[in-house]
Amino acid sequence: MTTILLPGRRRGFRERLSHLHWTLIVMLTMLAAAGVVTLYSVAEGSWQPWALNHAVRYAVSLGLLIAVGLVAMRFWMALAYPIYLVALAALAAVPFIGEEIMGAQRWIVYGGMQFQPSELMKLGLVLGLARYYHGLRPEQVSHILYLIPPAIMIGAPVGLVFIQPDLGTAMLLGATGVAIVFLAGLSWRLGFLGFAGAGVAAYSAYRFEILKPYQVERILTFLNPDRDPLGQGYHLLQSKIALGSGGLDGKGYMLGAQSQLKFLPEMQTDFIFTTFGEEFGFVGAFVLLGLYYAIIVTGIAIALKARTHFARLTAMGVVVTFALYVLINTGMVMGLAPVVGVPLPLVSYGGTVMLTIMAGFGLVMSAHMSREHDGLSG
Amino acid sequence: MTRISSHDPERQEILNRRAFLFSAGTALAFVSVAGRLFQLQVLNHEKYLKLATDNQFNKRILTPLRGEILDRFGNVLASNRKNFRILFVPEQTRDVNAALDELGRIIDISEDRRARLLRQIRRRGPYTPIEIEANLSWEQFARLNFELPNLPGALPDIGETRDYPLGPAAAFVIGYVGAATEEDLKAQEREDERVVLRQPGFKVGRDGLERTYDKELRGEAGVMDVKVNAYGRVIEELKDQAAPPSQGQTLVLTIDSELQQAAMRELEGESAAAVVLDVVTGDVLVLASTPAFDPNDFNVGINPDLWRELNADPRLPLLNKPLTGAYPPGSTFKMITAIAAQISGVKPTFAVSCSGKLWYGNRFFHCWKREGHGSGINMRGGIKHSCDVYFYTLAKDLDIDIVAGVARKLGLGQTFELGIPGQKRGVVPDRDWKRAYYAGSPENQPWFQGETLSVAIGQGYVTSTPLQLAVMAARIATGKEVRPRIVRVRGDVAPPPQSFGTIDIDAAYLDVVRAGMDAVVNEPGGTAGRSRLENPAWRLAGKTGTSQVYQITAEDRRRGLTKPDDLPWERRDHALFVCFAPVDNPRYACSVVVEHGIGGARMAGPKAREIMRAVMTKDPASRPTFDPRTVARGREEVREG
Repeated sequence: MTTILLPGRRRGFRERLSHLHWTLIVMLTMLAAAGVVTLYSVAEGSWQPWALNHAVRYAVSLGLLIAVGLVAMRFWMALAYPIYLVALAALAAVPFIGEEIMGAQRWIVYGGMQFQPSELMKLGLVLGLARYYHGLRPEQVSHILYLIPPAIMIGAPVGLVFIQPDLGTAMLLGATGVAIVFLAGLSWRLGFLGFAGAGVAAYSAYRFEILKPYQVERILTFLNPDRDPLGQGYHLLQSKIALGSGGLDGKGYMLGAQSQLKFLPEMQTDFIFTTFGEEFGFVGAFVLLGLYYAIIVTGIAIALKARTHFARLTAMGVVVTFALYVLINTGMVMGLAPVVGVPLPLVSYGGTVMLTIMAGFGLVMSAHMSREHDGLSG
Repeated sequence: MTRISSHDPERQEILNRRAFLFSAGTALAFVSVAGRLFQLQVLNHEKYLKLATDNQFNKRILTPLRGEILDRFGNVLASNRKNFRILFVPEQTRDVNAALDELGRIIDISEDRRARLLRQIRRRGPYTPIEIEANLSWEQFARLNFELPNLPGALPDIGETRDYPLGPAAAFVIGYVGAATEEDLKAQEREDERVVLRQPGFKVGRDGLERTYDKELRGEAGVMDVKVNAYGRVIEELKDQAAPPSQGQTLVLTIDSELQQAAMRELEGESAAAVVLDVVTGDVLVLASTPAFDPNDFNVGINPDLWRELNADPRLPLLNKPLTGAYPPGSTFKMITAIAAQISGVKPTFAVSCSGKLWYGNRFFHCWKREGHGSGINMRGGIKHSCDVYFYTLAKDLDIDIVAGVARKLGLGQTFELGIPGQKRGVVPDRDWKRAYYAGSPENQPWFQGETLSVAIGQGYVTSTPLQLAVMAARIATGKEVRPRIVRVRGDVAPPPQSFGTIDIDAAYLDVVRAGMDAVVNEPGGTAGRSRLENPAWRLAGKTGTSQVYQITAEDRRRGLTKPDDLPWERRDHALFVCFAPVDNPRYACSVVVEHGIGGARMAGPKAREIMRAVMTKDPASRPTFDPRTVARGREEVREG
């Protein structure tokens, strides 16, 4: 047991707990609490069907975070490639054994448990890329040959998720992967070329109808929301109406008429920020955004203080994923980003994403715990 | 291990820089998001607040109840009854066809009907509820309500539909209603009127008084704000702030529904018309036409088979015969000829001898009585026996323009302000008329005196409607310019009391004619002896008429076809009768026309007698009439007490 836990002085469990980054945990818990409060309101003042579940799931996820955080970082480094490969294999298996839900094959059901390989991949990709760059010298990072493995490591899962089809997650995975490559030190020149190539790929995806019609619709609707007010743009318009009518100080808790009257779609998941903003106003929504930014900054600080390159890149990768979630979701409900179906981390209802996020912060926590005692550091 | 750690400071340096860039970029992104949030929630708050209110509140039109139509005693001729119906709001469904399939499990929706509904949905857009089915049974309605959660878009509704308790009996007076057409919508000047007309099940007057007084009967729509959720389901009705609809005006008619029904029964089986007037007030007591359609059939959109049947019927059940049927008046015109002759200087004592025919111009004019009426036929006798030769003789020296003048004074050749559309003017021929009528055609010739002979016995060009004949009888009876009316009270407005000026005809001339008409019924040898009423107080004066539809030819006679009964129905002569009673103090006038009824004395007279018997028995003019204004006032007084 002790081998996978923190080495050095044999500290008691209680003492180890005291070394956790409690500020981070408190901030995450505040997010989850905001979720519970909003879900209670969305259900018209009821713990069912979402609020209670959300609280319970958060408690379980927090346990997972602490467990992951207590495991030494070098153990996670040893598991990085295996986890990536398992996630990739599961993703590849989805088209064959996956269950189709809402027109997309994303889930693997095993013994009554639902499991979404793309979620595991969000961590697997971060771990895999961090592990890969951990073993590279700085001058190798921008070498074209050494770019091939990460290109495959990113491209394979992105492609598999894209054909499920889950455009939102594919974009999220791709962006996270590219961000890690940049953080590892990719030269700006290559980076620019890469972006140009991505632009060409996106254009040909549109030209050659690789995207599903609804995906094209969503992007076009994003570009011009008044195109079809009762179709795709409808959700966005209703979301803007709800937020806008909330005003500076909101309509008050449980008084968000737009949300309560079901004008908002998917209030408990993708559009929960809208409900929150309608009821608590600009002040409330601003505070929530501030909390997110505080968590991101805390995560970056932890990452930069970690002892190993693997730990730094892993923690940064988790923070990048988290930041992307927040920005895409809030941008989406306000018409700054396309409606792609990305939840607001820890506030939106949904167990799998919560587990992913919390496990990810578990890795950040592990990096934090290992900052002085990881045997790999020099 | 050293392999890795030796690069560490350099890599950490790069990571630090990039991480700083990342955090700066993220900060920028958060600022944009917050800025956007500020724009939405603070800067554009008012705009979105208004949109949110629009989201939550819909205006619901409260359709007004259509005004009632009552007879002179307040009996209902047209009113409204509860109508269980199922409406459909296309906007509230994802898939209209699937939703209609679901509904089809409970109520029968034929392919035809479905096609029509889909057309209607396309035309009216997704927000206007359309009527899927009306007049559902209570069982169907209850089942629909029970299954409502499985029926997207379905909206059960208890509406009102027009109800005509008398059925066909008053069809031609009342008319009927139907759903508003695109033309109706275009005809409205204001958009709010169009909105009301688009309400499901809203009906507009299509014919008769329903059509003429449509605006008055329609009433004023109310409006109510309803709070709805995103699916359009009503969460709350804001009843306190609603502007309630106001029912349309009540029309009180001059019709006596009891007598109307009696007249309809009397005419049953024939293609016929009857009009009864109160000669003092001009009130139309009876306006009967057979066969008649049932206006209730038109309420929910008439079934196409029934419509075809009604149109194909040779007895024309859709034709309002008292007003739109123009018939040659036949011998009922002879009173006019007699008056015209007196105006031209002929003394009523002027007598002729009837041999059954009269040579004029280049041909014989025959009397209806082949063997002739013998000698000593004066004006009174001419009317009593309806001797054609007597009137031919008068006509030889008569100016047609004088005849036409008298005809017009007595009500022919004109329409009256009844409010029932489709009145025919009929034809009162004179020189100008002939010139205008034949203008430009090769038959354009001057008036021939021979034509005056035909007109003198109500044949030839002259035509009149049963209503005009009743007016003629009333004017002869009173010597006053009687004008018929059918709407007594409209809402709060009662038409001014009818007072009629004296017609510009010497009373002495009229006396001669009246005496002739008295003799027709009450003297032995009169043509309508069998139309006499036993009660001396109900003494009836009348005149028979038979108007030729088809002239029996020499060819027909050779084939043994001499009697009109041998002719096919549509070639038989029309039977007419006009009368008034009581003779010494006239109160009621009546006209009856039986299409192809062969003889006025035989078919029309007895029917007129029975109708007049009912009228005289009831004597509606002596009874107090219904006035909605005094009734309303009466009610208030009761409340105050």
